[in-house]
Amino acid sequence: MRHAQSFDEFYRSTARRMMRYGYAVSGDHTEAQDLVQEAFARAWRQWGRLSEHPAPEAWLRLVVSRLANDRWRHLHRWRVMASRSGPPPTAPPPSENGVLLVHALRQLPATQRQALALHYLFDMPIEEIAREAGVPLGTVKSWLSRGRSRLAVLLPDVHIDELEANDVS
Amino acid sequence: MSAELSDLYRSLTVVADGVEIAHPELVRRHADRRARVQVAGSAVAVAVLLGGVAAGGRLAFSADGSAPLPPPAGTPASPPPTGSALPPSPSPSAPPSASTASPTPSRATPSGTRSPEPTGAVTAPPPTSIPDRAFFVLAAANRTGLESTAAGPVLPALCGARYPSESAVVQRRARSLAYKRPETRVGSVPDGSYRHSITIYRPGRADDALRELRQAVRACPEQRMPDDTRTWRQRLLDPGAYGDESVLFELRAPYPQGMGDPGADEVRLVRAVRVDDVVTVLWEQGWEYTAAERAQVDADSRRAVAAIEKWLG
Repeated sequence: MRHAQSFDEFYRSTARRMMRYGYAVSGDHTEAQDLVQEAFARAWRQWGRLSEHPAPEAWLRLVVSRLANDRWRHLHRWRVMASRSGPPPTAPPPSENGVLLVHALRQLPATQRQALALHYLFDMPIEEIAREAGVPLGTVKSWLSRGRSRLAVLLPDVHIDELEANDVS
Repeated sequence: MSAELSDLYRSLTVVADGVEIAHPELVRRHADRRARVQVAGSAVAVAVLLGGVAAGGRLAFSADGSAPLPPPAGTPASPPPTGSALPPSPSPSAPPSASTASPTPSRATPSGTRSPEPTGAVTAPPPTSIPDRAFFVLAAANRTGLESTAAGPVLPALCGARYPSESAVVQRRARSLAYKRPETRVGSVPDGSYRHSITIYRPGRADDALRELRQAVRACPEQRMPDDTRTWRQRLLDPGAYGDESVLFELRAPYPQGMGDPGADEVRLVRAVRVDDVVTVLWEQGWEYTAAERAQVDADSRRAVAAIEKWLG
């Protein structure tokens, strides 16, 4: 049974977090709105079963991640084309750290963005990220390490600690 | 962990929180509507139910014998025919549950995050009554002018299965109508007949009806019908892409002595399709042991679904 009330409650309790996650992995407001709405639409389509899922929010994040990756690939091709003939991208306002971060995240592979978002937005330990992504612990550690190293290069004015063993284990 | 990077992510959440979140009901409506459009693009169909009962006796010619079929009346009230199930549904009954309408936003969220602030959304209320226009009209070449709103079941019997979702019926209307093949002359004996019903369920309960129907078919691989010495076999078929979801099954039994081709089976098909909180069923019942034609059923199913979708908007 698709119970509208339980879906609405789930939506209200998770949509904001999902929007943050969508923004972190897609790097664009409009993209994030589309991704999140699409993910929730898919959730509603199978809410009868999903409502009994042990971790529906994790399922939702997975959908957002996959949708983001798909769109990211399309966008990447478009950006490559634009870089050949179009104007340079507009520099973000330096005072908006969130916007700075998003612009830097756009230079990272999707898997690294996803791992960083789960770690910093959801305070997820490595083990949980690995479970959600369906990859070994070492892979997640590698994503986080490389992601932060890359961000340190992209955000030279921001101090980013070197990855430490106890940071992600 | 890098505190600076954590600060950046906190800033990111501030930016993300500036994005408006749609009202959940709007998301649901959008999802349901888009699903219907996608299906319509590939050829939607209504629920078709094929039963093993010849239906000629339950139909009557309309006044002119060829005019488009009139809209059905409300739920019939006479005893169900042999081999059928699901008694006529009640007339407009209990209104949709108030618990499903615009629940109060929950503010309890884990991890200290706040609930989204729903923005305003204007959505159509769920239907509570079935208008005449919700019923499809046969293609001109298939019309016989035969239609009846006499009482009768809307599904064939399935080992006495009962459907708890019947308690969630808001309204049901049903009719029987005969059709002919295009090559059959007007006024000739029809080539088949349908039992066609439309049922509104309380919000979120229509998929229960389809789930229960699937279970009933699975639980009833064989059965005997009253006044019929044959053994009927039932099985689910690939439902195809109809509405938001659909169920298709067949009932099969050897033709009675002297009927049909030697060694052939009499086959009836039943398809039920959900569109939002509405389930429409088309039950092809044949006409004096005629064989159902899938193409005809599919075509009329598409018409039936299209009428439902047009009604629901």
